[in-house]
Amino acid sequence: MPRAIVLDRGDNVATLIDPGQAGETCLLQGESGGEVVLREAVPFGHKICIRATAAGAEILKYGHVIGRAAKALAVGEHAHIHNIESARGRGDRKES
Amino acid sequence: MAATFLGYPRADGSVGVRNHVAVISIMDNCNPVTRAICQAVDGTIAVTTLFVRGQYGHDLEVAFNTLAGMGRNPNVAAVLLVGLEEGTTEEVARRIRPTGKPLEAINMQPHGTINAVAEGTRRAMKLAIAASSLRRVSTPMSALTVGVECGGSDTTSGLTCNPTIGAMSDRLVDDGGSVIISETSEFLGAEHLFAARAVDAAVSKAFVDAVLRLEKEAVSRGMDIRGTNPTQDNIRGGLTTIEEKALGAMAKAGTRPLSSVLTYGEAPAKKGLHFMDAPAPAVENLTAFAAAGCQLIFFGTGVGNPIGNMVVPTVKVCGNVNTLRTMADNIDFDASSILEAGAKASTLGEGLYEYAAAVASGTRTSSEVLDVRETAISRFAPTI
Repeated sequence: MPRAIVLDRGDNVATLIDPGQAGETCLLQGESGGEVVLREAVPFGHKICIRATAAGAEILKYGHVIGRAAKALAVGEHAHIHNIESARGRGDRKES
Repeated sequence: MAATFLGYPRADGSVGVRNHVAVISIMDNCNPVTRAICQAVDGTIAVTTLFVRGQYGHDLEVAFNTLAGMGRNPNVAAVLLVGLEEGTTEEVARRIRPTGKPLEAINMQPHGTINAVAEGTRRAMKLAIAASSLRRVSTPMSALTVGVECGGSDTTSGLTCNPTIGAMSDRLVDDGGSVIISETSEFLGAEHLFAARAVDAAVSKAFVDAVLRLEKEAVSRGMDIRGTNPTQDNIRGGLTTIEEKALGAMAKAGTRPLSSVLTYGEAPAKKGLHFMDAPAPAVENLTAFAAAGCQLIFFGTGVGNPIGNMVVPTVKVCGNVNTLRTMADNIDFDASSILEAGAKASTLGEGLYEYAAAVASGTRTSSEVLDVRETAISRFAPTI
């Protein structure tokens, strides 16, 4: 069973420390426990959503903001550059 | 517990962990002569550089100060400068002379390549023989200044190698030594947490200003920094945003107060934890650490970055089980037990502190033995 580390109780993402396949059950460790079913294959070291997150909501890891959801994230979904936006160093955005 | 190491006492009161004769190029056109001398003389290291000729103003000052800083570094027993002409060579020489260490210089004008290599080899040989007569003595760990770096980061970096380096950093600061963290861009999103550790409001402001100045510059170029930092390999390793990378990178600095903010290659004026405002890429950042007088560098890596510094032994720490298997020859310290066996970073940090004393006493690192070492001085303006 692939393992994922939760670094703070308030986090909505966890980091996989094993590679995971779609449909596999992932064991949460660290600051929160439980199990999450992976919706897709997720590589070693990548993150998964562990709490349903609305588009535009903050993504929390280490209990701190690491970006915003570019679209709604479902539990068990791969959470990475395709659905998380950075808020810093964004010269490509006019409002920055 | 290791509270001492065996080091080489220098005339200026500093203590080296290596005993190099540094052959230093004053500018890029000197590098072939520098390399030829170092091939001929055992005990030397080639400190090459690019540019310098055509640089001016602040950019040139940084270049001279950095070349001289590497010569002043406690790990250097003696220096041979290789220049094109005597004026620029003297600019570097006068910055090294106050250390009182043996210092020689040769210039290619008007002797030519063959004579410069011959004369340089003769002088380097004498310096190397004299340096070999020096002996290590027992020295308190407080004599150490270490640079903490990360490169080839991934999500394991913030969980394993960086917290381990952070625990070691706290031990060294508690024992009266110094730690320098740098890589300004890798504080974007974590700067509020680090600023809160500053000893006073002025240090806090200087640090935050450095981070915001860098962000403003990146934004003014109209681009998303993603892809450059985090890099492509960081992203493949699971790091999504610079904020996420920064929160993991900051762990290298442990938990002690931030004492001062340094410019590129600047040596700290007091003990404790310091921040140096310098670009993140490893080679130019490690070069700045060498110029600042760091005797050791601790380098956390996730997906793997083999490079080390010429003057300063660079200890590679990794907690990614895959990289430890595929790039084993580039890693010095295994921190994988944190994720694989539930070990605490504080426990591994104690082990890393003992290893620091061993490397400071002469145990060699992978990047030294394989000679995967490079020098690059950051540029702050175009050449004319």
